[in-house]
Amino acid sequence: MRNIISLFIRYSAFILFLVLECFSFYLIINYNKSQKEIWANSSNLLTGGVNSYVQGVEDFFALQNRNDSLLIENAKLLETIINYRINSKNNNFQEFEDSDSTANYQLIPSRLCSKTINLRNNFMTLCKGSQDSIEVGMGVITENGIAGIVSQVSKDFSTVLMILNSESRTSAKVKSKNYFGNLQWRSDNPLLMTLTDVPKHAEIVIGDTVVTSGFSISFPEDVYIGTIYDYSIQDGSNSYNIDVELATDFSKTDYVYVVSYKLAEQKEQLIDSDE
Amino acid sequence: MNSIWQRNIIRGLIILALQLLLLKRIDITFGDFNYIHFTIYSIIIVLLPYQMNRSGVVVIGFLLGFIVDIFYDSLGVHAAATTLIAYARYFVLNLISPTEGYNKGGLTASNYGLPWFLTYLSIIVLLHLITLYSIEAFSFVYLKEIILRSVFSFIASIFFITIGTLIFNPKY
Repeated sequence: MRNIISLFIRYSAFILFLVLECFSFYLIINYNKSQKEIWANSSNLLTGGVNSYVQGVEDFFALQNRNDSLLIENAKLLETIINYRINSKNNNFQEFEDSDSTANYQLIPSRLCSKTINLRNNFMTLCKGSQDSIEVGMGVITENGIAGIVSQVSKDFSTVLMILNSESRTSAKVKSKNYFGNLQWRSDNPLLMTLTDVPKHAEIVIGDTVVTSGFSISFPEDVYIGTIYDYSIQDGSNSYNIDVELATDFSKTDYVYVVSYKLAEQKEQLIDSDE
Repeated sequence: MNSIWQRNIIRGLIILALQLLLLKRIDITFGDFNYIHFTIYSIIIVLLPYQMNRSGVVVIGFLLGFIVDIFYDSLGVHAAATTLIAYARYFVLNLISPTEGYNKGGLTASNYGLPWFLTYLSIIVLLHLITLYSIEAFSFVYLKEIILRSVFSFIASIFFITIGTLIFNPKY
């Protein structure tokens, strides 16, 4: 006991020092707002760096999931826009808001498994097939414009005949004037297509918007394609050759949306019976 | 003995008054440069008698810092720094003890010479200022500010104290 007391006396200065320092820090942290905040923030400083790094790694692994969910979200939004536009043309606002029954177009988001853009006849392969209710003849679009038409479908994959293909013919129109024509790919430039069969008397202005006509079963009406880049009339011809600059840069495209049209079969049958 | 106490108490009060009423208000700022603060009250701890009980010095240090804190509106900051130098004083004195020992009376320049006094003073004041501004910033993120503030305040404070020492040249 005596030893403890003597020890205490011997180190009294040190003990006193420690006690008073602790008390000072207690005062600092409790009675000074800024120090309290700094304390709260600084304790995050070291762990914050580590945490954000770990979060970065986690984010990287989550990217695929997040991409997919964004893709689905995008598809939903595009779908709504397309259907809304069509319904607004028919003055069907009420019906559109009432139910989904008027939603004739559905979009199926898909990743690209492969694509070519520098050949004369380009195709791309989607990583989805009949399992995801993709059928031959459906149109394929990107956020910026049209991409092609599904030409073959297997269980898990489907092939798309791109608009950058010499066999591709797409019905398109100049939006402001409603002149229709055929969109073909004649050049080697994957950003330039040619709109033919627009009659000579039409007034064409460079920079006008070109959209889909909605005549085909593949694409809805008014899907953006690009802008007019240049035009010319061949000697002896009765129609323009209009160069259209595509809005979609296919070299950068990784995701597309397949357009599923509910009334496609009906329309197709009608066209077939006509012929 | 009694007169030494009286001297210390009166000197302490005068220095405190000087610090809290005058030096606290001095604000030397050139644009972004506001690193100069006169902080001289640590001289009270420096000049306490050598024979004084170590615990007593620590308590005085704490009380001194506490009083300064009340005036500076920074409860605990000065108290912590001053308690630290009060405790460290003993070790500093041991470290730089003159060959003949501390038996000439007060720890002043007139007893032990100006060079010794300046060394002692510098160590204590620098320690005080670095601790003070570190605790004030409370994070080593502001290392540059802490160092700049400590260095410039150190120069200003030492300058001030040295002039005071040369003028009054106290024996105790």
